Amino acid sequence: MKKRWPGFLLILCLLLLWEFASANKLIDPITFPRVSVIFASWSKAVLGSGELTRQLMPSMGRIFAGFGLAAIIAVPLGLLMGTIPLVYRLLEPITEFIRPIPSSAYIPVAILFLGIGNEMKVFVIFLACMFPILLNTYGGVRAVDPVLIDTGRTFGLSRTKALWQIILPAALPNILTGMRISLGIALIVAVVAEMITGNSGIGYFILDMQRIFRVPEMFAGIFTLGLLGFLINFIFLRVEGHFLRWRGTSVET
Amino acid sequence: MTATHEVQAEARPIIEVRNAAKRFAVNGQSLTVFDGISCAIPQGAFLSIVGPSGCGKSTLLKLISGLEPASGGEILFNGKAVTGPADGMIYVFQQYTKSIFPWRTVIQNIEFGLNSHKKNLSRMEREDLCRHYVKLVGLEGYENYFPYQLSGGMQQRVVIARALICEPSVLLMDEPFSAVDALTRAILQELILSIWRTIPVTILFVTHDVEEAVFLSSRIISLTKSPAKIHEDVAIDLSYPRDQITTRAEPRFHALRQQLFASIFLQEKGAAP
Repeated sequence: MKKRWPGFLLILCLLLLWEFASANKLIDPITFPRVSVIFASWSKAVLGSGELTRQLMPSMGRIFAGFGLAAIIAVPLGLLMGTIPLVYRLLEPITEFIRPIPSSAYIPVAILFLGIGNEMKVFVIFLACMFPILLNTYGGVRAVDPVLIDTGRTFGLSRTKALWQIILPAALPNILTGMRISLGIALIVAVVAEMITGNSGIGYFILDMQRIFRVPEMFAGIFTLGLLGFLINFIFLRVEGHFLRWRGTSVET
Repeated sequence: MTATHEVQAEARPIIEVRNAAKRFAVNGQSLTVFDGISCAIPQGAFLSIVGPSGCGKSTLLKLISGLEPASGGEILFNGKAVTGPADGMIYVFQQYTKSIFPWRTVIQNIEFGLNSHKKNLSRMEREDLCRHYVKLVGLEGYENYFPYQLSGGMQQRVVIARALICEPSVLLMDEPFSAVDALTRAILQELILSIWRTIPVTILFVTHDVEEAVFLSSRIISLTKSPAKIHEDVAIDLSYPRDQITTRAEPRFHALRQQLFASIFLQEKGAAP
């Protein structure tokens, strides 16, 4: 943690520069309000009226629902693809076809059959989270050293037991990497979906504030997103560090 | 010939290799590693397989273990044909760093050996048994270390303890000490010897180091260059217990070492262009 202070110092300097530039009208103070004004509206929207906090909850709910669903389905599917060649040959083409489509492109389709409610957003987030987890799990399984598999065989381990006791833990670093990538994507997709079909959520809040020219609140929403992404990543690195403590490389947080 | 040898000759073979063959397909061509190897390994033996590099020593060991199928002939373990990894035989891999479970601590790695054996033990009994084997390989105090925190020699001790805990009747060791430094190797050699003398286990030991083979074994089989055949089958009539200082100083040790080394070296040289 102590090695990170220069980075935080740079952020502080940039914010001060912004404050100074806006106060002296070097940049348009309507488009770029002073940082102090943004923070004032932020604390009012979060601590005071709570209108921002109210929008944060639905977003986080969607993100974790979509991500959780994706993890529950993609990890077992990836394990099967990695261990049973037939499953791989069955799923590989469709995976390669769907994967390159930007997840936001599914939104119009999802609206058609799921409407503009929560289900649609969770579904789109779920779909976007699926592929990084699936492909990383599959890749992790394929990368398990044959010696490790043979060690299980010489000890008479059954295929199912080997899956739980050898393949899953050996592929865990890759699986967790896939999950971390997915969490980042989930945040993006959630915001986009909320902006397109807005009635709640942080994405809706940002767009709404921009439309009614409450620019400081708009920035407050964006800053909140940055903070949220940072926090999610921070917590996930901690979780990862706990599960992978056997690797010995301390995770810097 | 000697007392030890006679005892072993009387013992019933625990493993019989009959006309074993192994062929690989390389670029559409069939490559014969060996064809028609036969030997019987008596129960309780410490038998080493030596030979020039690439002669198929490790492949033969894999075939015996059942990890790889033979292309011809048959392998019998306790009179029964080996068709897959057999209960009672444990293969110890040359690459111990790849064979150890990095996510398990020392004691958890050793406990893995109990997986398919002794399922009815209580948690207390399992733990006691694990501790016994931790002690046997001299890793007390390191029970809760992860493999990355251990030296190569210590990791190899973990792998050996993990293999021994399921009380195999045969231990198949593929150049187990080739990747550790000379001093650690000498210590591990004495360790495996003392284990072999206290536990009723037959050890098949593949090595390219003739001196190591002579020091450890009660019998040595040397193979020819690929396609391999059995070149020599030598009883090692050095008395047990052996230790690094006195055994290696014996004239008989040098004579045997010289005899085996010469035959392998001349082969390797003779076959070279």
